[in-house]
Amino acid sequence: MFVIPAIDIIKGNCVRLKQGEYDQLKIYSDSPVKIAKEFERKGAKLLQVVDLEGARAGEPINKETIFSIAKMVSIPVQVGGGIRTFAHAESYLKNGIEKIILGTVVIENQKLLKRLLKEFGNNRIVVSLDIKDGVLAIRGWRKKVKTSIRRILSVLKKVDVKTLAVTDTLRDGLLKGPNFDLMDEFIEKGFQIIAAGGISTLADIQELNKRGAYGVIVGKALYEGNIDLQTAQLNVLPKNELAKRIIPCLDVKNGRVVKGAHFNDLRDVGDAVELGKRYGELGADEIVFLDISATLENRKTFCELVSKIAKEINIPFTVGGGVSSIDDIKNLLDAGADKVSIGSAAVKDPSLIRQAAKQFGSQCIVISVDAKKQRKKWRIYIKGGTEATDIDAVNFSKQMEELGAGELLVNSLDRDGTKKGFDIELLKIISGSVGIPVIASSGAGTMQDFLDVFQKANVDAALAASVFHYNEISIAELKKFLRRNKISIRL
Amino acid sequence: MIALIDYKAGNIGSVKNALERLRFDWVVASRPEEILSAEGVIFPGQGRAGAAMKELKKRGVAAIISKIKKPFLGICLGMQLLGRYSEEDKTKCIGIFKGKCRKFPPTFKIPHIGWNKVELNQGSSLTAGIPDGSYFYFAHSYYVDAAEVKIIGKTSYGFDFPSIMQKDNFFAVQFHPEKSGEAGMKLLNNFCKLCS
Repeated sequence: MFVIPAIDIIKGNCVRLKQGEYDQLKIYSDSPVKIAKEFERKGAKLLQVVDLEGARAGEPINKETIFSIAKMVSIPVQVGGGIRTFAHAESYLKNGIEKIILGTVVIENQKLLKRLLKEFGNNRIVVSLDIKDGVLAIRGWRKKVKTSIRRILSVLKKVDVKTLAVTDTLRDGLLKGPNFDLMDEFIEKGFQIIAAGGISTLADIQELNKRGAYGVIVGKALYEGNIDLQTAQLNVLPKNELAKRIIPCLDVKNGRVVKGAHFNDLRDVGDAVELGKRYGELGADEIVFLDISATLENRKTFCELVSKIAKEINIPFTVGGGVSSIDDIKNLLDAGADKVSIGSAAVKDPSLIRQAAKQFGSQCIVISVDAKKQRKKWRIYIKGGTEATDIDAVNFSKQMEELGAGELLVNSLDRDGTKKGFDIELLKIISGSVGIPVIASSGAGTMQDFLDVFQKANVDAALAASVFHYNEISIAELKKFLRRNKISIRL
Repeated sequence: MIALIDYKAGNIGSVKNALERLRFDWVVASRPEEILSAEGVIFPGQGRAGAAMKELKKRGVAAIISKIKKPFLGICLGMQLLGRYSEEDKTKCIGIFKGKCRKFPPTFKIPHIGWNKVELNQGSSLTAGIPDGSYFYFAHSYYVDAAEVKIIGKTSYGFDFPSIMQKDNFFAVQFHPEKSGEAGMKLLNNFCKLCS
């Protein structure tokens, strides 16, 4: 669970209100940036900043202060207060703010909510529900809503909202402990819950953690010194040591590796089995073999090659290239591949993915998402990136997850072969829109590019070809470098 | 001779290859008598609980697993099916141990795919020579919540879940030892040695 420190802002100052009343205000600091940095230093993993004036005015007022906070800390920041239009939301989400918190707008403009979810993904949209006497309160808690909470929750579930920030307004700023029963109600409905209002002791935080809350907002108790942030966060930190994966990719043509790796001591750089073994020894976490043969005859050769590879290597490997039917998938899995990557066929016939996931399990179905930016959108390309479609890459990714895909391998056609770094913007939006692992591909040029993609795009694995094959980057060095930079890596 | 239970859903190829590399004799078994006469049994797993149980019942295998007295190793889905119930496809399972298989909450990405650490709680012949905190390869969306078993190793993915456990002669691992590099080969080697 995340212990999320709250910074509420009025006139550029860091303040706290009692029960949302603007006349019961206490100023804690005139430098919210300093406060934010202090929270980061104490181990916060996520920060909440609320523009209280903005909430009252119905538009952002303290944007400059908020941007400077986001710039000065390296942890994600979620922002609320006065976000009522698409432009408000966009200006935050495109300028360094990780998540926005929507309140009033959810009730008054559901069309906007849907558009935001579609555009930015449900990981970046938090819906705030302020509960006063068992009903929803909006407009800075001054207006009560008639629709029942149950009805509102079912609507939110339907449009695929994932995270709710639930505040019991009658407890906020009173340090009397949270309303556990209220939180239980929301958690049971299957939302990620960030609990707020009244949290006053470490025991409150531990109890919320036990009940399955996703996060807890702590304000006054931190400022008054009742809770030590560091102790609290360490106490309930979700432990996740799953390592980020480094994946070399080998192109295979007519049973031979083309553009093979240049190892001095290997006599045959075209031997896929030898190369696979070598990459395994060097510390690759997984290997991708792509068949770029054009004929059916050679496909058969590839299948035979897969079974040879499977006999020799003891780490997982994925195969792809021209996979277009259930039979293709079955043949490759039977030959010993751990996963199969599917590209054009998933675009042409999405139902193939549903059937494949059902038959073989999601964990072995990888979708190759080939995307290229056109104006403001990313379009899906097929046939090895040669043919454009009018399918939106983000929508496609979500659809594939729904159909049962287990992972997405995202190729940026804009970056492919450029060595200018991974396409962080594309990867971030896709990773933020789905709940399955994402493998970043295309554009790797330096070790820093790998660090950037793990730090900024929340991907689970990074794939590259030529930088590994031509020894420009050694996998062992890369993994050490990433671990030194606090990325979870298997050494 | 070690019997690999074949029930279509399982990816037995990788386990077969691993045993080849380790030079242990194996036989692919799908009939009860073949399974019961082996010196040890490996129950590999991939795919979904519902389809797997259906196939195991059809082959008459589901009912005899509890009768196996030789060392037994369930892998991944093969571990999950040893409980009483799985939330996946709401499936009634074999019931070697108490407890059930539940889906991960959406705190992190699902499936849990990749290399994660196994923290060893207690010594076991299965993990002899494997350093505490070794990485193993996982690929699953459900985890086992069991009671009255010996938890040999655990792994964190938001919370701790059992990644190696044992009840009597039944061992079970949530990861894929056959895909987990050196550490995985060591574990399989340890298991095979228990059988001979």
